Amino acid sequence: MIVTMTLNPAVDKMYWVEALKIRDVTQEEFLTRATRSTTSAGGKGVNTSVFLSRLGMDSVAMGFVGGHTGHVVVRDLRDEGVTTNFVWTHGETRVNVTLLQEGREHSPNLIDESGQTILPEEVDRLMRRYRRMLNRATWVVLGGSLPPGVDPGIYGELARMAKDAGAKVILSAGGEALSRALEACPYIVKPDTREQMTLDGKRLTSVDAIVEAGKHVIACGAEIVIISHDVTGDIAITGDDVWEIRSSTPTSKFKNLVGADDAFLGGVLYKLVQGAPVSEALKFGLAAGLASAESEEKICRDLAVIEEEMRDVTLVQL
Amino acid sequence: MKVREIMTKDLTAVEKSIPVRELIFILNTAQMPNVPVVDEDGRLTGFISEKDLIRAALPGYFEMLHSTSFIPDMNQLAKKLAQIADEPIERFVQTTVISVTEEDDDLQAADLIIRKGVKNLPVVGEDGRLVGRVRRIDLLRHFL
Repeated sequence: MIVTMTLNPAVDKMYWVEALKIRDVTQEEFLTRATRSTTSAGGKGVNTSVFLSRLGMDSVAMGFVGGHTGHVVVRDLRDEGVTTNFVWTHGETRVNVTLLQEGREHSPNLIDESGQTILPEEVDRLMRRYRRMLNRATWVVLGGSLPPGVDPGIYGELARMAKDAGAKVILSAGGEALSRALEACPYIVKPDTREQMTLDGKRLTSVDAIVEAGKHVIACGAEIVIISHDVTGDIAITGDDVWEIRSSTPTSKFKNLVGADDAFLGGVLYKLVQGAPVSEALKFGLAAGLASAESEEKICRDLAVIEEEMRDVTLVQL
Repeated sequence: MKVREIMTKDLTAVEKSIPVRELIFILNTAQMPNVPVVDEDGRLTGFISEKDLIRAALPGYFEMLHSTSFIPDMNQLAKKLAQIADEPIERFVQTTVISVTEEDDDLQAADLIIRKGVKNLPVVGEDGRLVGRVRRIDLLRHFL
């Protein structure tokens, strides 16, 4: 069984607009009308679960939810066919807003809330449930930012518990939460470089720097490190190989980048669970991410489209 | 149709060691009228509902009374609830659990829900672990 853990899930609210008028000050220009909008459950683990479900693979989504927006998250996941096992909190699940401007969809404007403050007893409750789930887990995906009140060492603890229970861990996080979890040697590490191009304090400014930082994490015990190089290309480092995974897809085809990174992780996991070699899983992952970026819908649901996208993906040994 | 095709795939459950106060919080925030009780391995061991808690908070002689007007102190429920708020729920859990499996038919679930007068039924897998629940609304939605 696959377990995804999203400690700081969100309601993803997306607005499509013809033109953003934020800088305009006249009364007539103050209002920006959305031509379209969507509401869906969001967060790294949540998006990964949705991706897997759309491809027919079961997973259990865990984490914290609260208030009215928490019910929106849980209901959306259930409608997507994902099994839910969330801890309910005193607070309210955050709302993340994405503004997509016509013709500039490749460069969305994001407003992310920091999230509800989690109480110590709510962390204890989550740990008890997580321990119970680990008895049947084979893969655990830990992903996303941490909500206020949660210790940055939590991903390390969750990863250690999963490994002790015999499950493989995929970690996609950033900052201190990522650095402290590396000691637990997750199976796959994918740094979240959206805000800072760093890994364990090292700046990822060039291909050489990315490879060096990745090798350092492999030496610490991880099996695969995947680092976003640019929008259509990633670098993957294993104990034996360093690959550049790249696609010839032009960025002008992108319609919605939100969730594309999570579809990438979901794609890699989908193939690894089926026993595919790492190289194939990486290619499928990038194809899944690009297929999601090219669809207006947050997460691509069409396996045929992903397989078609794979034709443009190359894997080059560096 | 099989139960697994219509059930709500949610694993919200509690252990028998949690206090009554925590159970009330979970039932309220998760908006569930009852919740399965599981062991540390996720296997279904019991069931507890709002009704069980109200029963636990009422005086023992309540069922013999014809009306609440015979209760000498109307604050008794609140007082009793405050007394048991930090007690583990174990004492109030129904250990004879009615459940269905994923492979049971929808009609079987509907029959049990009607005959036993319950709002939902826990669903277990082959290994006895909780995999979801069938709610009355799941059946209605499905049959429409």
